[in-house]
Amino acid sequence: MDIFHNIILGFQVASSLENLLFCFIGVLIGTLIGVLPGIGPTTGVAILIPITFGMSATTAIITMCGVYYGAMYGGSTTSILLNVPGESSSVMTTLDGYQMARHGRPGPALGMAALSSFIAGTFAVLMLTLIAPPLADFAVSFGPPEYFALTFMGLTLVTSLGGDSPLKGLISGVLGLLVACVGIDAQSGVGRFTFDQMYLLDGVGFIGMAVGLFAASEVLVNIESPMQQVFTEAKLGFLALFPNRQDWKDSFGALWRGSILGFFIGVLPGAGATIASFMTYALEKKLSKHPEKFGTGVIEGVAAPEGANNSAAGGAMVSLLTLGIPGSGTTAVMLGALMIHGLRPGPMLFSTHPDFVWGLIASMYIGNILLVILNMPLIGLWVRLLKVPYTVLMPLIITISVVGVYATDNNVFDMWVMFFFGLVGYLMRKMDYPPAPMVLALVLGPMVEMSLRQSLTISHGSLAIFFTRPIAAVLTLVALLSLCAPLLRMMWIRYKPGKTAG
Amino acid sequence: MKRADMITGIVLLVLAGYVMWESMQMPPSATFGPGSGFLPFWVGVILAVLAGFLVASVWTRKMTQKDSVNPFPGAKALLAITGVLGGLAAYIFLIEVLGFLVDTFLYVAFLVGMVERQRWSLTLGVAIVTTASLYIVFQVLLGISLPKGAFGF
Repeated sequence: MDIFHNIILGFQVASSLENLLFCFIGVLIGTLIGVLPGIGPTTGVAILIPITFGMSATTAIITMCGVYYGAMYGGSTTSILLNVPGESSSVMTTLDGYQMARHGRPGPALGMAALSSFIAGTFAVLMLTLIAPPLADFAVSFGPPEYFALTFMGLTLVTSLGGDSPLKGLISGVLGLLVACVGIDAQSGVGRFTFDQMYLLDGVGFIGMAVGLFAASEVLVNIESPMQQVFTEAKLGFLALFPNRQDWKDSFGALWRGSILGFFIGVLPGAGATIASFMTYALEKKLSKHPEKFGTGVIEGVAAPEGANNSAAGGAMVSLLTLGIPGSGTTAVMLGALMIHGLRPGPMLFSTHPDFVWGLIASMYIGNILLVILNMPLIGLWVRLLKVPYTVLMPLIITISVVGVYATDNNVFDMWVMFFFGLVGYLMRKMDYPPAPMVLALVLGPMVEMSLRQSLTISHGSLAIFFTRPIAAVLTLVALLSLCAPLLRMMWIRYKPGKTAG
Repeated sequence: MKRADMITGIVLLVLAGYVMWESMQMPPSATFGPGSGFLPFWVGVILAVLAGFLVASVWTRKMTQKDSVNPFPGAKALLAITGVLGGLAAYIFLIEVLGFLVDTFLYVAFLVGMVERQRWSLTLGVAIVTTASLYIVFQVLLGISLPKGAFGF
């Protein structure tokens, strides 16, 4: 009955007044970020790192996690009412959600979005509770070759699965590895790529880089295409939000399939909530008895992606906490935050910091309940918030970012790092380079390098060490295969037109 | 997009060359096993290969729909972006001279009034509220000492 013991410990930690308060603040900010288009959960988490810097690690991560899954709830509101997805993970919700709203049923669509998020989110936390400890036990036996293979696999999966162009994803990841090399080499004490700058001896500051790449560049992209002010006149009573019996019957299958599929997609490094929502929507359409009705406002088209994206957010926490491999941009930033707080995610985390791990997991149960309470009766309030113009938000986002970056170290140099990566991030977004692999590579870089060099020292320089140990071999193979996948895809694309032309 | 890809490809090739050259100058490991130049060198090699792929793909691919669109915005939006970034550079440069309060107020006023071209009453309001709320969050609630200017506040 170890698990009950752990959960009780978790709830003791999570129900302290401070943690409850910040869990609430986290999900509140998350809902806000979800509702407002033009600011995503990754930006939200990046901005929060400096603000939560002075708190205990547990409280800080509880807050950031709350933002992450809170945004999954909030993103559906604008998708349904205005056909504007608040986040990329709620793009699929617009298809049927907006049609439902147009056909006079905005209430059940919103209610189903919130309730399916709650059900799937709770399911994911439950699975996290059950799966994470055995996975962590298994990973405890990992040596340097396994760690290298694992981090290598995480990097290649993220780069090859995310974005339209796998080549650009890879370039982004490789550049991140280079940035990670800057500073004093931890193993030999040699300064690398420091350009004789004292501030670079410590390496490029993670906070400045993450905030620049996500928050600052997001502001720049939004400035050039000003968002239109969109309103809805829909009047929403509390009771109108509840889906009726028929709705539940229609959604039941979609909901549990979405929860399970979403969770496992979330566990995979590299595939996050967005991919999960796309895949479950496609699956439901395929399984449905009336696929032609999808896109005209069927409720299972709302339940499936909304369930899946919440479930995936929970699944992503499994690989983050047990293996230290984040599955998406947001969890990559959270990994960086954990390290700043002196916690190294990975199998040992469960035995060295059980209060942190179980406190966080318990807070996710509490947070999901808070979210459903926040979202159901207050939906009208969130909709009204959309009237806050971007004119007000833009200066706030940019100043809170830059001051936050300063605040962690009282160091102006970090502000310049943010400035530089804001510009880089803007150029990358414009030219279709995904920023997530770069941040992930910066976070994992030191671990990749250390485990690689240790492994090669053990093996006297032979690469065979990554193929002769069974676990390392499997992981390395997966990594190499995922690298080949885009190459094959590129060759296939080139081959196809040749075939039709000839 | 084609031109943008070509230019990035070349810039990345140059960067990769610099990285490889610099890594070779690094001292070898004092014990056995790879030294500090090992990873950067190979990362540089991989970067060079990827950049080569990028340049080659620009050469060989046919113009696609995306290629015919310039990824960068027109002059008006570019001006706004330059305004935000230029203002940010000035903000960072001046924060230890003017102090947090004055500097933030000026930057936000510049963003709302000049970049967004809003009326001055709104500009003033947003600037005051933003500066005040940041001050409350960071200085009062989080207890971080924000930079003071030459005037002592």
